[in-house]
Amino acid sequence: MKRTFLVCLLALTVASTLLHWSLPEQQSAAPVLYWVTQNDPVKRETTALFRDWLVAQGLPPVEVRIDNASQQRTGTTGEPKELIQGVSGMGGDLIDIYLYQMELFQATGMLMDVTEIARRESFDPSVTYQAINTDIVLDGRQYGFPRNADVVMCWVNRDTFARYGQPEPPARWTMDEFEERGRRFVAAANPPGSRKRIFFLNRVWPSTLRRGLGLSTYNETATRCTLDDPRNVEVMKRIYRWTVEEKLIPTIQEQEALAADASGWDSSFSLFATGRFAMLYEGLWAIIRLRPKGDFRLSAVEPFNGGFPNAEIGCGVVSVYAGSKHPELALQFLRFLASKPFNRLVARSGDSLPVLPSAAKSDDFHPRDHPGEWAAKDVFAKAGREIGIAASKSAFVLPSIVFRADTEAIESMLAGRMTPEEAARTTANRVNSEIALRVRQDPTLRRSYEERVKIQQQIEARRAARLPVPASWISDPFHLTYYRAHGWLEKEAAP
Amino acid sequence: MSTESSRRRWLTGMAFLLPNIAGFLAFTLVPLVLSFGMAFTDWDMLRHNMFRHEPLSFTGLENFVRLFRDPQFWRDLGNTMFLLLGLPFAIAGSLGAALLLTKINGRRQAVGPALVVATLMLVASGLVLLRGGMAEQGVWCLFGTLAASVLVAGVLSGGTVYRTLFYLPNFTAGVATYVLWKKLYNPHTGPINFGLASLLDGVSSVVRTDPRVVGYGLPVLCGAVAVLLVLWQLRRLWRRWDDADTGTAAIVAAALTLAIPLALLTSWQGWSLPVAVGVAALGAATIIVSTLRRPRPWGKTRTLDTGLGTELGLALVLIPVLTLLVGGIILGPILPAQAAVGIDPPNWLGDYGWAKPALMIMALWAAIGSNNMILYLAGLSNIPPELYEAADMDGASPGQRFWHITWPQLAPVTFFIAVMGVINGMQGGFDMARTMTAGGPAGATTTLSYLIFIEGFETGRLGYASAAAWVLFVLVFVFSLLNFRFGNRDAND
Repeated sequence: MKRTFLVCLLALTVASTLLHWSLPEQQSAAPVLYWVTQNDPVKRETTALFRDWLVAQGLPPVEVRIDNASQQRTGTTGEPKELIQGVSGMGGDLIDIYLYQMELFQATGMLMDVTEIARRESFDPSVTYQAINTDIVLDGRQYGFPRNADVVMCWVNRDTFARYGQPEPPARWTMDEFEERGRRFVAAANPPGSRKRIFFLNRVWPSTLRRGLGLSTYNETATRCTLDDPRNVEVMKRIYRWTVEEKLIPTIQEQEALAADASGWDSSFSLFATGRFAMLYEGLWAIIRLRPKGDFRLSAVEPFNGGFPNAEIGCGVVSVYAGSKHPELALQFLRFLASKPFNRLVARSGDSLPVLPSAAKSDDFHPRDHPGEWAAKDVFAKAGREIGIAASKSAFVLPSIVFRADTEAIESMLAGRMTPEEAARTTANRVNSEIALRVRQDPTLRRSYEERVKIQQQIEARRAARLPVPASWISDPFHLTYYRAHGWLEKEAAP
Repeated sequence: MSTESSRRRWLTGMAFLLPNIAGFLAFTLVPLVLSFGMAFTDWDMLRHNMFRHEPLSFTGLENFVRLFRDPQFWRDLGNTMFLLLGLPFAIAGSLGAALLLTKINGRRQAVGPALVVATLMLVASGLVLLRGGMAEQGVWCLFGTLAASVLVAGVLSGGTVYRTLFYLPNFTAGVATYVLWKKLYNPHTGPINFGLASLLDGVSSVVRTDPRVVGYGLPVLCGAVAVLLVLWQLRRLWRRWDDADTGTAAIVAAALTLAIPLALLTSWQGWSLPVAVGVAALGAATIIVSTLRRPRPWGKTRTLDTGLGTELGLALVLIPVLTLLVGGIILGPILPAQAAVGIDPPNWLGDYGWAKPALMIMALWAAIGSNNMILYLAGLSNIPPELYEAADMDGASPGQRFWHITWPQLAPVTFFIAVMGVINGMQGGFDMARTMTAGGPAGATTTLSYLIFIEGFETGRLGYASAAAWVLFVLVFVFSLLNFRFGNRDAND
């Protein structure tokens, strides 16, 4: 018995030692940084380029390993894997952060504040698009640097329009025009009795529609959800009409079901390429997915609007984990993201817009082997500069909660379980209840909330008196742009 | 044996047990105790972690109060209960599979004709496959070959292959089967709707031929069956009351069983919820009063809960069946209009009304060939053959043999399966919903376990999620107690 026990103990010890020896840190002479990101060709090329860049800068070598297993991109409903690893002290040195994750991760304290060093090393927000500042700066502090920027636009499969003899949409158009053209398109593409449905567009983004009507998810100081506004009811009614009555767009579930593969999201590209969707509402990065699907004629147009042209701009941010073993090396990686070689790589690959706006004007942005994409890429770059507005977020509620509340209300409305008015009211109530709860539970947030509520009252008083408002009072990116466009801001100093 | 020697043996034994005990303490007991404590705090992953060390606050019962006031909790509890309605079908399915397999084993000798048919099929499939290649015909032939192989192997092995095949869902990883079913349910390219589309086209043309026959016939037929079922239950109930086999609580349970489909019928007809509940309450009250007013037989005694377990068990079957019939009553009048434009197969996972049944069907498939089937197989092999011999001598029909021997003899197994099924059903549903529907559409498939996941790991409120987990535990505990109190677990009962 004792021998068996000793043999077991010995076997476990040997296995543990072997495991320790097999760790990448033991195999590599240089320090190893783990980058929690997708394992795609661009990321692999990025790590190789980083090595070369370090050599060129005369810096010691570092090995960056892509940790795809810890990366869990499930859209916008929270990312438990990265979060749990992060708060448990097991996060990767570099973490990719998408659309709505920044607030969640930053609130836990797991992201390193890089404000001072970024200013010193020239990777602060001033080097990139102003519109995406809110994606990397929270409460005046910087928590990462973007590796790309992207505007969501309507990709047009020109072959599909030609197939059904329909005119292509204009560069800028309204919601009414979308509806009218969409109705004509689906009538032409879906003869009576056909079960195989052809849609006009793969999806809509409610916040862009709301912004088109001058409404944001929150008020100016992001202290209250304003989705109970009649303008949101109008958006809800339109979504219902376009999805259920006119069938211009599929429901999320229909979209998933249309796909031959298991994932609904990735299927959009195949369905767009094969003509099941005439238009695709995605960022520039869609090129990477569309290129392998064959040669077809592409163009891009702005999202249809309700009077205020806009498009959502966002970025993929790389942040440094606060518990990183090699924080100084991880910061070098952020510095590399603001370098010309990396931005040329982004421009060349088509993986969204390079974060240095100047790189979008270089020859790399127009790859010789894909001349058909040049015009569409220029449309994206122009939209990024002119109509791109970052997503609205509030420091007092997690975006994942807002997304879930909004999605469930829309789905309930589409299922006929709520009227558009009820859906709008339900979303606003749920989000405002969450704001009230979080403010009540977190004393730090409470102080900030009370200050902002006072500012909100001042804004409303000024607006009632038709007086301009200082830009610094407004934290919601849409309101800031909207106020500026309407001349409601106090005169700003020239940038 | 000396004291020193026995102490050494004890230490050696403990050394072997230590990893297990340490694992149990670290990963079960300590988290359990911690989670109980957490349920009474405002533990929030965003504020209480290795980077932020804000003091924890004791919040008393606040998490529980908020949970009970949260409409999402009640919706998710409703979803969990709805999915639990599939349990009787799952039990029936696994019992059916076990009976089938036992029967195959018992008739191992009569394999001649089956063997010939299977061999012919196999040869024919192989020939067509060779000639047609791997085109569409080839794929069909592949299916044919597979089916024939199964048949041949089953016939030759006397059921062992069938047992293995039936048990296959249990070997397969959950997520893999969910992805497979997601493909099967695909309304546009999935084989289920592919088959249904042709069937529904046929139904549409039949309905279009004479819309009135279906429009009136289906509701009348379903209504008649429902009425017969209700009358049967009432007659049965009164008899049992007269024989002192049923107490007052059982009468109330039976009345509510019949009232629930009535409430659904009223509600689906467009009446408001209070009216629907009122009609159902009136119906239930009528049944209760009419039963309790019947004269009590002299000399027979009954307690309040006599026969309650039987009525609750029957309710699990009656409610889904009556609900289906009510669905038929509602569907009849609208069917002709739908047939005129063509009846589309359901959008299984995308439609609010179909998402839960779709998950239940998949769970039923998994349950038929699960451990339950193995338990039933073991239970069937333990039934003394002399009972069947005695029944045969008395001239009992197969139905009577099953109802009076097999079913009562399997009572302990059924009881165990029911208890475990309720526990697993109440705790489960997360992985299935997460993979197939992400809890949608509109929260239709979000279960309590999914709610715990969302609150714990998407919003970071670990205290609140712990409270929800402990409420779930209490619910499971109460249901298990009810099962133990009223369940029929003795073969001789």
